[in-house]
Amino acid sequence: MAEPSVVREIASEQPEERHAPQSNPAVKMRARGVNVYYGDNHALQDVSLDITRDEVTALIGPSGCGKSTLLRCFNRMNDAIPGARVTGEILLDDQPIHGGDMDVEQLRARVGMVFQKANPFPKAIFDNVAYGPRIHGLARKRSDLDEIVERSLTRAGLWDEVKDRLEEPGNALSGGQQQRLCIARAIAVDPEVVLMDEPCSALDPIATARIEELIYELRGQYAIAIVTHNMQQAARVSQRTAFFHLGLLIEQGPTEEIFTNPREQRTSDYITGRYG
Amino acid sequence: MSRAFDSVLEGLRGNLLRMGGRAEAILDKSLRALWERDARLAQEVADDDVEIDRLEVAIDEAVLKALALQAPVAEDLREVLAVKMIATDLERVGDLARNIAKSAARSAANPPLPFPAALTSLARSAQRVLRRSLDAFSRTDAELARAVLAEDDAIDRAQDEVVQTMLRALERQPGAASQEVDLIMVAKHLERVGDHATNIAEDVVLVAEARNIKHAAKLARSR
Repeated sequence: MAEPSVVREIASEQPEERHAPQSNPAVKMRARGVNVYYGDNHALQDVSLDITRDEVTALIGPSGCGKSTLLRCFNRMNDAIPGARVTGEILLDDQPIHGGDMDVEQLRARVGMVFQKANPFPKAIFDNVAYGPRIHGLARKRSDLDEIVERSLTRAGLWDEVKDRLEEPGNALSGGQQQRLCIARAIAVDPEVVLMDEPCSALDPIATARIEELIYELRGQYAIAIVTHNMQQAARVSQRTAFFHLGLLIEQGPTEEIFTNPREQRTSDYITGRYG
Repeated sequence: MSRAFDSVLEGLRGNLLRMGGRAEAILDKSLRALWERDARLAQEVADDDVEIDRLEVAIDEAVLKALALQAPVAEDLREVLAVKMIATDLERVGDLARNIAKSAARSAANPPLPFPAALTSLARSAQRVLRRSLDAFSRTDAELARAVLAEDDAIDRAQDEVVQTMLRALERQPGAASQEVDLIMVAKHLERVGDHATNIAEDVVLVAEARNIKHAAKLARSR
């Protein structure tokens, strides 16, 4: 794979306080003064946001506001976008993710991602889930792998539906099942953070409810960040919410406060449907 | 941006203010029936109250529909909740006016008894706070709402004064006991109207400032 065309201006150019050790143990990932440029487009401007452990953080805002851009920063998915430039600092447990000793593959194992459209590999259901543990050497023998696959599919709420057809192709499942398969695949490598980019946007209400239930169940085990356009979904599944507009982080706080008494007029206008 | 929800809110507010107008009118009519010893007017109050009940049912249905179909949040949600809570208060004001009208009808059938000045003053205060609380709602005016809240203690004191006056009258004139007790009950009903105006004013503060100030003093003392 070609070297990503990403230039980063990190650590040394940032104000000193950004290097202070994390004082809040509840914080799993921390973005400080993050800017993202796609060519001339300044897509994200000086954003500082914490992703907390054992909680779901919802990133909301109108299209093009920068929420998915920030999500992709957390596991360096923007590295793969030609012309993308990221400045500022992102820490995972105090460790800069752009630092020299952070292997990007290892980072993505620790910070998993579920995409808008379910994208199972063209492989058997079993192999979809076993793929990550295999390449990361998490299973020494077949029985270890069996255990990981069963545990991951169970956590993803899919085991009972597929346990008798693990050799069937993953893309033969329904849309909702495929998305849960992708979640099982993401958690099979035992990540610490799970990023979800509009995971329900292509699903019907029943499948959406299953995924939301799943997010609720998973939140005690992972730090979860979810991008969603569905305000009610953000209100239902998250404990913290961050509102973005035109590349700026406008407001962040406990979800119950954002949805009952937002401090910023722009947040209020957006969540009440006055614009966006 | 104009939203479909704006017309829903406008409809809710319109119905609530109509209900508020009816509540003010029915209270006024029940008091006129009392002052003027007019049994026919007292009878009309019962009929007028049915219209208030009908509006409450319409508002209940519209609120349920707004919550289910529009899922409002933030200030929209507070306003919808406030409409529901205020409608409940206004319906009770209608019931209280009905009770006052019953006393008026009984009073009209008996020889006239002078009304204590404190009672007429209490009635004016109750009508004023009800009107001002509805004005505060229609303008989402937290300052006016707080002015309504400030009047509640004076209304309570006015009620106590009527009760004391009527107790002394009872001692002097035990033969008119049923009328004197009726006037004590009217004072109680007017004091309750003041309480409902207070509730409405608290709801206005919730809508305007996202602050729940209900029972604030009592809860602060119990800390």
